[in-house]
Parts: sequence; C-alpha cells; structure tokens
Amino acid sequence: MTTRTAIATNIAGSMILAFLVLPILAVVPASFNHASFIRLPPVTWSLRWYQAFLNDPEWWRALVASTRVALLATIISVTLGTAAALGLERVTARMRTALLAIVISPLIVPVIMTSIALYYVMRPLGLHGTTLGLALGHTLLAVPFVVVNVGISLRGVDPNCVRAAEGLGASPWRVFRTITLPLIVPGLAGGAAFAFVTSFDEVVVSIFLAGVQAKTLPVKLWETIRVEFTPVTAVASTILLVITLVLFVAVKAAARGLPHQDGSRVR
Amino acid sequence: MSAEPRSLSFRGVAKSFGDVPALRPLSLDVAPGEFVTLLGPSGSGKTTLLNIAAGFIVPDTGSLHIGDADVTALPPRKRDIGMVFQSYALFPHMTVFDNIAYGLRVRDVAAAETERQVRAALAMVQLDDYGHRRIQQLSGGQQQRVALARAMVIEPAVLLMDEPLGALDRQLRKQVQLEIRRLHREFGRTTLYVTHDQEEALVMSDRIGIMRNGRIEQIGPPQELYRRPANVFVAAFLGESNILRGKIVDCTVGTARLAATGLGTEIGGPCAPGLAVGMEAGAIFRPEAVGFAGPGEGGLPARVMEVVYLGELLAIRLALPSGQEVWRRCFPGTDDPVEGRDVHLSWRTEDVRIVPLDNQPMEEN
Repeated sequence: MTTRTAIATNIAGSMILAFLVLPILAVVPASFNHASFIRLPPVTWSLRWYQAFLNDPEWWRALVASTRVALLATIISVTLGTAAALGLERVTARMRTALLAIVISPLIVPVIMTSIALYYVMRPLGLHGTTLGLALGHTLLAVPFVVVNVGISLRGVDPNCVRAAEGLGASPWRVFRTITLPLIVPGLAGGAAFAFVTSFDEVVVSIFLAGVQAKTLPVKLWETIRVEFTPVTAVASTILLVITLVLFVAVKAAARGLPHQDGSRVR
Repeated sequence: MSAEPRSLSFRGVAKSFGDVPALRPLSLDVAPGEFVTLLGPSGSGKTTLLNIAAGFIVPDTGSLHIGDADVTALPPRKRDIGMVFQSYALFPHMTVFDNIAYGLRVRDVAAAETERQVRAALAMVQLDDYGHRRIQQLSGGQQQRVALARAMVIEPAVLLMDEPLGALDRQLRKQVQLEIRRLHREFGRTTLYVTHDQEEALVMSDRIGIMRNGRIEQIGPPQELYRRPANVFVAAFLGESNILRGKIVDCTVGTARLAATGLGTEIGGPCAPGLAVGMEAGAIFRPEAVGFAGPGEGGLPARVMEVVYLGELLAIRLALPSGQEVWRRCFPGTDDPVEGRDVHLSWRTEDVRIVPLDNQPMEEN
C-alpha cells in the first residue's frame, strides 16, 4: 500500500469511528452545562445537575435497582452460559451449530417481541415488576455473549490437559475446578462484562417488565425524557457510560494479566 | 518409587469409527516392567490402541487388563496410569512444582510427603531448581521432562506415552530419548510407547510392535525385527532395506530360494514362515550386508550410480541390469568406488531373508 492510500484509509477510518463515538460522548459536556436545558457546547460549566441527580432519591433508587438487576442477571447468565458452552463442546459439530443458533436467537428476534412474550409469561407467575423477573429477562439477552466468550476460551484449552488431569486420577468435578475453570477465566470475565452491560443498558424488556421495585436507570431515563428534557438525563447517561467503560477496561486489564493456554498472553 | 509395575494386556480388542476399522481384533501382552513401542505410519491404529489403554476410547469388543484387574469399563482416573503427550499437556496456569504435585494432591498425599516426592521427581529429570518456574519459562525439552516427572511421580502401574518427542527438534529428541531410556532402566515402569520414528523405537524398546491398518504386523525385540522381518512392509519400515522381488522356486524348513524378477538369477537364504513354491515373495538384504565381490568371485553385476558421503558412512546407489536399485552402506576406505564403475555385488546367504510380500491379502481394505 502506498503512503497516500494509507493516509486516506486512516482518515476514512478515523471519520467512521468519530461518527460512531462522538454522538455518545456528546452527553458528557452536556451534563456539565449550567443552563436548564441541554445545549452544546455549554455556555457556563457547572456541577449543578450532578447535584440534582444525587439529591433525587428516585434517580438513586433507579441506579441501585439497575445494579442489582445487572448483578443478578450476570450471575445467572454466566452460570447458565458456561454450562451451555461446556455442553456444546461435547456434541457433534452439526448439533453444536443447531444448538448455538437457538442460544443466540434472542439477539436475532426483535427485542420488542421477546419483551411482549416475557410480559405474558411473567405476569401470571408474579415475576412481573420484580428484580428477579427483570434479571431473568435480561439473562435471555446476556446468555449468548457468555456462551460465545466462554466457548472461544474453551477451544483454546488443550484437550490433553483435561486428559492428563483425568489420567492423574482427578474426578470430573476436580478437573473442571482445577484445570478447565482457571483456563477459561478470560472468557468468563469477558462474558460477565458483556452480560452486566447488556442488562445495565437494557431498556425495551425493562420497560415491559419494570415495576416499582425494579425501575432501572434506563427506564427512569426514558420516563424522564418523555416528560421533561432536563440536563439530569445527560448526567444519568454519563454515569451509564462511565460505568460501562470502567468495567470493560478493568476486564481487559485483568485478562491481560492471566497466562493463556499456549503461554502467550490474552491481548 | 516403590509401587510395583504391573502387566498390561489387550485381549481381542477392536475398534471402529463409523465404518472405518481403526483397530482389528488384536491381543498384546506387555509384561511388568517391559518397554513396548508401537511403531507405525499415521492411521495405523497405534494411537487408538494407546487411548484404549488410557480409557479415553472404549473398545467395541475385547477387554483390557492391568495386572489381574479387568479395567475395560473403568474411567481413566481409576486405572492408575501415567500419561505423557506430544503436546506436553502441562497445566499452563500452574508452576512446575504444582504440575508435578497434581497427581499426589488428588491422592490426598500429605503436604510434607508431596514436597519430598516432587523434589525427588525434579531431581530424577534433572530439573532440581525449577520447581517455582512457570511452564512458559521452560524450553520444549524441559517441559517434556516435567511431563515425565508428573506422570512418574504417582508411580503408575503403567506409563503411556503418545509420541512424546514429536514436538522436539532433533538434538533435543536424542537427549530426551536417552533420558526416557535411563528412567525406564532405573525405575522399570511398564511402558507402552507410541511413535512413528523408528530410531526412537530401536533405542528405547524391549519389544517393538509394527502396526499397519489396525493390526500388529510383527512384534519382537528390535534385533529380531531388524534381522528377521516377517514381511516386506516390516523390512521397509524398520531400517533401510534392499528388496528384490521374485517367485519362490524352492522352499524347505527355514530356507527358500527365489527367482528374482528380471535378473535371471536365484537368491537363497533363510525365510519367514508362510511361504510356498510359486508364491510372490521378496528377498531382503540390508545395505550394510552388501559387499563388492573380488575379481573372479562371481556375484551380481551392477553399476555404481552415486556415492553419497554421510560422514561416518558412505551410501552407494547401485543399478542392476534390470534397472532395479540397490544401496550399499560401508565405511569410507581407500578403495572407495567411483561413480560409473561396473562392479559385482555379493552378500552372505545368512544376511538375506526371504519374506512374503504381505501378511494380509489387500482386498480387505
């Protein structure tokens, strides 16, 4: 590639990235605006809307509810997803393709359909409007990320390592606990981060399933924006953004510290 | 290292994958403390046989015995085996020490005793000060030695090795080969070893089983296989061989004569069982058994085509009048042959072996 095409490619790439990212980042300066309406760039800088956010117990409750739901959804989806990924390694290639398609289907089916279906299932069960109900709904959307991430990690584990441990006398559970599990930690961490964020950001299922007990931050944002276009929403968005970002950087950093199968490090 | 080595017996074991027979019914007894190598090309069934011994593959028929116990239905963890793999299969998230200690900890050996045994195992493979190292910090040869120590420290009834030197370069391979041989001499573990490298097999084994198409073509001590191959395949697979084909014209107990195709001459010598007059057969003689006849001594006329200098040896390619090739190997001397010269070949009758072209009719495949 000549230098000129290289430069052109770089410029085009940068512009596309900017197009993707900048609108999201726009909420950050907006949240520091002093004015009572959202405007860019801010005329006067101020933390008054952060104060407003912190002083409003409803926003607090939403943040706590989001965190609780996301943590619960993460735990459930990591457990189920890891078990599914382990199972998928044990079936024939054709079976695996078919089963993986089913596992991933919640990402393909329009979320609004999933939401309506979930609403009708959960209402008679009394799960509607509860933290658990919402977490289960989010689990549906989060499990595919766990299965895929853990699956990639599992394929990196030398099957002979498992055989060696079996040969040395370890029970299947001990082999899993001492060999397989430590080796798939990078995939688990990545899957867990995706699961947490999927739940934390989720709005469609949440609108259908959220009640008083489980009104999450995105739902509160949605409701607030419908009524008034206050800069507090920019603050809430910034907080969502920062938590998501911090989580991913942390997971990447943690995974880099772990030795991987072939002795190389996870990049 | 005190637990007694035990015998390993396959009795009528067979295995197919789908319609493909990987292993035809076969029996094999490895005596306590014996080192048996399964040697064969890829797809010959040797790894399948090893995996049946380990318990990773369940045979379709037949049974497997370790010592007096029928272990056919036992999972690998209950078989008291030590495994060494081509890929080392060390646990990458553990130190050298923890790798070797794994089997002991599974057996709930006390910490102090584990420590003592792991130290002894490290000393055994000459990696005394490597206990705290991470696996990634070791070379391939060191990793395989750790794998050996890990497999041997539990004093398994049977050691199973699946091409353990396959991933090492030539220099290291020789080193680890001698290491395995030394460990076997010292500790006398019953060992089943799989390789496609004949040199490895010759260096280490008490007995070698040559495998092809899911069968053991011949099994015996290295010298026996080298000197008295059962058929052309074994002769060609183990060591270098000159093979002249022909038809058996005379066959008595232990010796036979064959009319060599296209040469108009007869070659006689000791023969393998299963030959009869009229059969197609091969006369086998090793390159080092070929000599040049002096003037007036007769012998098979040939022309020197090529002289290859191998260092301590010369390899000489000769062409017979029929166009067939014969190799001679000898030490370099003062009268080294010149390319293009006509010579006469001679060999001692006892260095020839007349063998069937094949043990099995080929239509089975």
